[in-house]
Amino acid sequence: MKNFEGLNFYEILKIPANSTSFEIKRAYQDALSIYNEDSLVTYSLFSNEERGNLLNTVKEAYSTLIDENKRAAYDAILLDSGQVEMSITSIQNQKTPPHAHTSHMTDSDTVEERVRKKSRKKEVETLSNEILSRDLISGDDLKKMREAAGIELSEMNAVTKISVSVLKSMEENRIESLPPNIYLKNFLRHYAEMLQIDPKKIIDGYLKHISLTKKKL
Amino acid sequence: MAQIYPIGGGKGGVGKTFITASLGALLAKSGKKVVLIDLDLGGSNLHTVLGINDQQGGINRFLDKTVKNLENTAVPTVIQNLFFISSSLCSMEIANLFHAHKLKIINAIQKLAFDYILLDLGTGTNFNTLDFFLTSNQGIFICTPEPTAIENSFRFIKAVYLRKLKHIVKQHSFHSAVKKAVSHPNHEAITSPDIIEIVLKHDPDREMFLRNSLSGFKFKFILNQFRKNLDATIGDKIEDLCNRHFYSNFQFLGNVGYDVRIHDSVLSKKVFIHKYPYAPPAIDIKKITEKIINTRPFIPLTGEIS
Repeated sequence: MKNFEGLNFYEILKIPANSTSFEIKRAYQDALSIYNEDSLVTYSLFSNEERGNLLNTVKEAYSTLIDENKRAAYDAILLDSGQVEMSITSIQNQKTPPHAHTSHMTDSDTVEERVRKKSRKKEVETLSNEILSRDLISGDDLKKMREAAGIELSEMNAVTKISVSVLKSMEENRIESLPPNIYLKNFLRHYAEMLQIDPKKIIDGYLKHISLTKKKL
Repeated sequence: MAQIYPIGGGKGGVGKTFITASLGALLAKSGKKVVLIDLDLGGSNLHTVLGINDQQGGINRFLDKTVKNLENTAVPTVIQNLFFISSSLCSMEIANLFHAHKLKIINAIQKLAFDYILLDLGTGTNFNTLDFFLTSNQGIFICTPEPTAIENSFRFIKAVYLRKLKHIVKQHSFHSAVKKAVSHPNHEAITSPDIIEIVLKHDPDREMFLRNSLSGFKFKFILNQFRKNLDATIGDKIEDLCNRHFYSNFQFLGNVGYDVRIHDSVLSKKVFIHKYPYAPPAIDIKKITEKIINTRPFIPLTGEIS
């Protein structure tokens, strides 16, 4: 009898090297249905020891491939040994697809870099210093700083992943369509980081401005 | 060159004889010249399933030299192109066949001039059955989807496998440690650590040769008496599993549905396929027959039995 000699974890679970975690889980269930003690398919084929060893290997394959970090490390070993090619492993390839409304599908890293450069301009700094010195910060202020830096809403979205409609609601002070505060705070932090200004001041100033506006209504 | 298909499987009552008769009938109906040989020595039934009242016998006349050529003992059946060689009138002690007689039968079978030769084998894993199964490198084993039958099938495969190994090792020069392991297999050597490993240890040069010899063997199997409520992928799973864990090839030919009328046709001594050509099991076997006709013959082995 042969065991799993010479087979890698993907081959043991009979899945391609670029399988999703869903496919890995299903393949694991299938493998268990074959190698488990109560399986009709392997009834009496293996001794208890053989079956135990095979099951352990199947479990090891599953626990390695289902864990993103372990899988990446394992893929690296396979790549080094030349068992698979770069193009078919790399889990990075299957991360979130590009957003439909970014007209140019550049890599988010390069967008981020470009955006950051923009906010480093001198005149932007003067404007933001002036705004940050205030107690209240409105959506208009946010928009002014963003436009001064020459950052498009779509670029903002590409880096922060905040949807364009929420960004607009923030800038236009549309209280009724703003997300709950817990999310809003986080969005403001991203927004501020994008402009490379102090997030705390932005969050405090903006929330104060919003609560004052609410009272006025 | 005739294609020989031994039909075996460890357990009794799984339908070896029924499948042999049905496959033979369908191969004959598709225009091939077919002979069925009852090699369930001491437990012959095939003549009954074929509806033949055997008064002459077949293999017995060949063994006692009344008939010189085995081919002349073949009798026609109700189906055109389908011939039959009986063993029902052999001696009551025929189950314990002499070694020389066994070789005589095997050699004669390999010389028969037919398109297809189907061998209906007996139950169990005695040497005669195993050697008849090894007459060809494309034996079919019949199994039913039950633990008892599956257990006996795996035992049968392992027994064939070991027998095959013995033949290979006996005929070629292997290290004495290998010869010893094969001729006195303790329980472990038959199952797990594998003769291959022993060869690897003592005779590394011969490892590829042994692997190739074993991979030249192609087991085919059929799941018979298959009921509708079962997982239809069992056969594919077994095929895949065996290809993974044995050094030989396995091909799943298909499921054959359960049908009470099969029992009826045995009672009335009629060929089922002939009587109910459109019953589900008949359709199933028709598909299997087509698969067999369309398979390119595996490189035949001769002279492996000594």
